[in-house]
Amino acid sequence: MNVPISAYLTLSGALLFLGMLGVMRRRNPLMLLLSVELMLNAGNIVLVGFSREWNDPAGQIFALVVMVVAAAEVVIGLGLVVAVFRSRINLDVDEMSSMRG
Amino acid sequence: MVTSLAWIVLVAPLLGGVLLASWPGEPPHRVTRIIGLGSVLIAFLLAVTIFVILLTNGADDRSFTSSAFEWISIGGVHVDLAILVDPLSVMMMLIITGVGFLIHVFSTEYMEADSGFRRFFAYMNLFVFSMLLLVLAANFFFLIVGWAFVGLASYLLIGFWYDRPSAVAAAKKAFVINLIGDVGLVLAAVLILRTLGTLDYAQVFHAAGIAQMGGAGSAGGLVPGGGTALAICLLLFVGVAAKSAQIPLHTWLPDAMEGPTPVSALIHAATMVTAGVYLIVRTHSLFDLAPVAGHVVAVVGAITLLMAATVALQQLDIKRVLAWSTVSQIGYMIMAAGLGAYSAAMFHLMTHAFFKACLFLSAGIVIHALHDEQSLDRMGGLRRYLRVAYFGMGAGCLAIAGFPGFAAFFSKDDILATALDAGALGVFCWVIGIVGAFLTALYMFRLLFRAFFGPDPKGGYDPAPHPSTKWMAVPVIILGVLSIVSGWVQVPFGWTGISDWLAPVLADVPHPLEPSNAAEVLTMTFSTLVVLGGIGLAWWLFAADPQRRIRLAAMARGPREVMGAGYRLDEAYDDIFVDTSHELAGVLTTRVEPNGPDGLINGTVAVVRSTARVLSAAENGMVRTYAFAIVAGLGVAGIVLALVVAGAS
Repeated sequence: MNVPISAYLTLSGALLFLGMLGVMRRRNPLMLLLSVELMLNAGNIVLVGFSREWNDPAGQIFALVVMVVAAAEVVIGLGLVVAVFRSRINLDVDEMSSMRG
Repeated sequence: MVTSLAWIVLVAPLLGGVLLASWPGEPPHRVTRIIGLGSVLIAFLLAVTIFVILLTNGADDRSFTSSAFEWISIGGVHVDLAILVDPLSVMMMLIITGVGFLIHVFSTEYMEADSGFRRFFAYMNLFVFSMLLLVLAANFFFLIVGWAFVGLASYLLIGFWYDRPSAVAAAKKAFVINLIGDVGLVLAAVLILRTLGTLDYAQVFHAAGIAQMGGAGSAGGLVPGGGTALAICLLLFVGVAAKSAQIPLHTWLPDAMEGPTPVSALIHAATMVTAGVYLIVRTHSLFDLAPVAGHVVAVVGAITLLMAATVALQQLDIKRVLAWSTVSQIGYMIMAAGLGAYSAAMFHLMTHAFFKACLFLSAGIVIHALHDEQSLDRMGGLRRYLRVAYFGMGAGCLAIAGFPGFAAFFSKDDILATALDAGALGVFCWVIGIVGAFLTALYMFRLLFRAFFGPDPKGGYDPAPHPSTKWMAVPVIILGVLSIVSGWVQVPFGWTGISDWLAPVLADVPHPLEPSNAAEVLTMTFSTLVVLGGIGLAWWLFAADPQRRIRLAAMARGPREVMGAGYRLDEAYDDIFVDTSHELAGVLTTRVEPNGPDGLINGTVAVVRSTARVLSAAENGMVRTYAFAIVAGLGVAGIVLALVVAGAS
């Protein structure tokens, strides 16, 4: 079955847009992390799509690397979220602005 | 052979000094003595050997140079680490190491109780090395190196007792004033280098000799009476005036008496301060090209000798009397050198080294015996307690005053008799010199009579002055004997030991001055008369009736106070130079710096800070704002990219 590259790009663009909206709109750090994951996976889809299109496995390898990095990021991000939740209860990124200039 | 010995002479005191300086901790006094005295003794014995070898050589075979290696070679200029052994440098070598050794021996006792025993001898050895480098150097480069080194040694030794503020101030003053001279000397060397392309004595003096003969073509810019020669000589004289304490750069020498007395004897009487005289004699080929410079030198010397003699009359501190007397005696030498009486200047340099060292060491015995008392008011009748000091001071006074038969009778009269044959300026100098001789007799015998004659001072001595040990006595006795006999090497109508010895060095003087018989007789008569007059007046004022000086104390008090303060030149320099610099520094700190450099820096800080305040408003800590900014930025970048691509296609 031959999926055209435009389908990959459309799906990827939709996911990226959703992720971006999530990052900009959501105030819960958990949802923020989920949105970032969405964007990363949008990127992965483009990589895999072009890998298939050009018959070059490099894109799939990149996608694997991105997943590893994303996993690491989620571990740290969730760790931070849990730490903040323990100390503050209230999970709202707008409240976490003690680093402002 | 000769030069290898001379290298050892030069290096021995350096090794001694380095060894003492790097000795871990304070070595036992016996070790310090052996190293400190041994190195100078080796130097002296070898210097005597060199002297004997040169004496057995013919008169035209007494000049040797030796180069250790090339020190600088750049742009066609070559400077070797080289030494020149000729009659002039050997004469200086003998004085430096001979008198230096005696003073080292004296110091072993004088400094015995001082905690800086090792440091003292390390400095003294460093000084002997520097002075030897100064006189042995075969080019202007190492002359300046030695010149600066003796300045350093002098600074270190004047400030030897560094816990006394006055000693530190005196050391600083000596250093600063000597630096003025160093600058003059360096400028002179640069001018020589620019004119002749070399700093080597032999080449410079050869070129000067050719210029003297009229062969200007091969001698660079040097012509007899020319501006370049005059400038070189005047710059050299700046160095001379600073080092040899001539007006107007003489004010450091009386203050230098803050150093230990052996230092005053060695550095500030016998050797270092006469380096200027040596320099003029050494560079006489250049001074012969610039008669005007010679006249300036002679006039400055004459004024200095007269002024310093009057100041010496009013000093109460025994060492300050001797210090001003040194200034005055160097005035004689500088005057003679300026007039062209080079061998007479060197003759007086030699006798002065002996009798002034003798006087200082005798004063040292007195000061040591009276537990650091230096005021003449607290002395009197010392001849009953201190026989050796009395002998030394007596012989020294007779010698410096020029009493017939004693050292300066021959050397000073040699200067004056030669001056009488040096034209109108010479006659002027002769008159000054005769007046100076009268004042010399007066101030020296004032010192002798006030310290050694009359009753004990009010309140007596407590405890009684203790006589010196043999370590201090023997050098004084040797120097005392030398003060009597050293004049006999050159006797009018008899023989001319010094002139003959220096003849190879002075062979190229175009118009050698020879005192005529009439001048000799006239000078001897007058100087004997004024010396006897001076001694007589001193006797009448200070010894015949001890109360007379107190009764006459009110006479001319004002002028005498001015005189005693060295004509207030110190205050004048303070007003003109020190205060002005302080005021300038004050304006710079209160006005210029806060607005200039500081303003620039503070302005930069203010600009950065206010910019940062504006920009930091963007850092609001809201993650969503940042995310929006990223997206918006990406969007703008995408639009721009699209426009560029569209424009390109």
